[in-house]
Amino acid sequence: MRTRFFGLSALAVWGLTAAPSFAAEPAPGQLLYNKHCLACHQADGGGVPNMQPAIIGSSWVKGDSRALALFVMSGGFDSASRKESDVGNVMPPFRQLADEELAAILTFIRQKFGDGASAVSAAEVAAARPSDQDPGTKKPESGS
Amino acid sequence: MRKVVSTAAVCSVFLAVATMAADNDGLTLPAGFSAVVVHEGQGQARHIGVAPNGDIYIASRNGLSAMRDTNRDGKPDVVSTFGDVKGTEVRVFRNWLYVSDDVGVYRYALTKGQLVPGGARETVVGEFPRERQHADKTFALDAKGTLYINVGAPSNSCQERDRQEGSPGMNPCPILEKYGGVWVFDGTKLNQTPANGRRFATGIRNAVAIEWNAKQDALYAVIHGRDSIDSLFPKLYNAEDNATRQAEEFHKITDGGHYGWPNTFFDTKLGKRVLAPEYGGDGKKEPEAGKYPDPVVAYPAHWAPNDLLFYEGKGFPEKYREGAFIAFHGSWNRAPEPQAGYKVVFQPMKDGKANGPYEVFADGFAGEMKDNSPRNAQYRPVGLALSPDGSLLVTDSQKGRVWRISYEGK
Repeated sequence: MRTRFFGLSALAVWGLTAAPSFAAEPAPGQLLYNKHCLACHQADGGGVPNMQPAIIGSSWVKGDSRALALFVMSGGFDSASRKESDVGNVMPPFRQLADEELAAILTFIRQKFGDGASAVSAAEVAAARPSDQDPGTKKPESGS
Repeated sequence: MRKVVSTAAVCSVFLAVATMAADNDGLTLPAGFSAVVVHEGQGQARHIGVAPNGDIYIASRNGLSAMRDTNRDGKPDVVSTFGDVKGTEVRVFRNWLYVSDDVGVYRYALTKGQLVPGGARETVVGEFPRERQHADKTFALDAKGTLYINVGAPSNSCQERDRQEGSPGMNPCPILEKYGGVWVFDGTKLNQTPANGRRFATGIRNAVAIEWNAKQDALYAVIHGRDSIDSLFPKLYNAEDNATRQAEEFHKITDGGHYGWPNTFFDTKLGKRVLAPEYGGDGKKEPEAGKYPDPVVAYPAHWAPNDLLFYEGKGFPEKYREGAFIAFHGSWNRAPEPQAGYKVVFQPMKDGKANGPYEVFADGFAGEMKDNSPRNAQYRPVGLALSPDGSLLVTDSQKGRVWRISYEGK
């Protein structure tokens, strides 16, 4: 019994530490996050001091999924909730991504950085999508 | 018996002190050098200035502070905050303390014997447009009081749509009319606006590290190179390319010079300047020969050069004279590849040109940096100053730590 107990805990520890390299292919949302978001918001969602904001626990990420989808598709800077000195770079709009891609990214960040907030569907992204489909005609809001 | 015990205790205390002194606060340095912490806690420290009497002035995102070591133990025992300027640059020039924030350069009169400036802040140049990106108005002053201000470009690569995949570069880049260069002013005149300045040099994305070289009678800068060639042009570049190819360029800045932004960048893999993908670049196409100067030295991508200092002291060995120290704040745009930088580099120089490859001078600032995330760096070096005793002061933006690096020989 005792041996088995140790064996299990050792296995659990091994499993925890080795998990990343043995895990199945990352979810599509994570791959898309890595491609489009990670450079700025970093792998841990912690952002970069004075450059790009952390998204861990962000009220945007946890909150209304349509508002989040619209924010990511519009780009810009949330001047209401950020101090000017916190952030240097304004987020570009990600309207060039398909509804399904955005839904996967948003689902991933809500699950990982948004306290497990609910998944976002492609239909919700489509409903939030601004009527202006040209990603170039609307300049990102500069905040101040 | 009693005596033995106490001797052992004393020995262990000595050992502990010796170990603390020898560990250089965890920094790695060349043989013969040592580092001690002189202060911590002035917020997100940026640049640092030193008066001829050794008084220290630090600029930070939280404000200005002044420090004096009255009991001569090497560590300031009087520390005061003052003024209302939150920014990066701070320099002692003649009897003035020159400082800057995102929208102006200011000065305070220094009174002999008095640590904290008593008078009001004067505006030397004000009314720069408020920007988010590359907004720090770092500057250099020559012996005559000519003021060279870095006016960073509020843009990554002057795309029609900044930082958006595939967006072409504006040609010509209109940003260069008011930004992306060095503007020159009379640093002894007050209440100037950008209109009173003259564009001295252009094509400079952001030169936080800008310094007058007295011996060469010339201006030098280390420039932050562009970001995101992979995510903006995924058909031409991958993440590894983005993490490694766009040099941080060290240049001698001359009147009328164009240093290549946004049209080009210096590709460290190819060892030559190439056209930026926004401006017709295909990963290898070069600009017209001789149009833009090659850098004095090309440093690895995204290391973030944030201060430059030509060593004019006498405390360090001969080889350091004439050479340059550069504080690299460390990368963020290398992710998902490993971050890099976070160190102070020594660049051997002779007659204003590189005299050999750069040497890592002080390293170990970042620590383990969990998750490859810059916010988890233990320290990030950002500012450099020369002390009257010849030692080098280094500031950190994570905790406001300040080190003194001295040479003790051997």
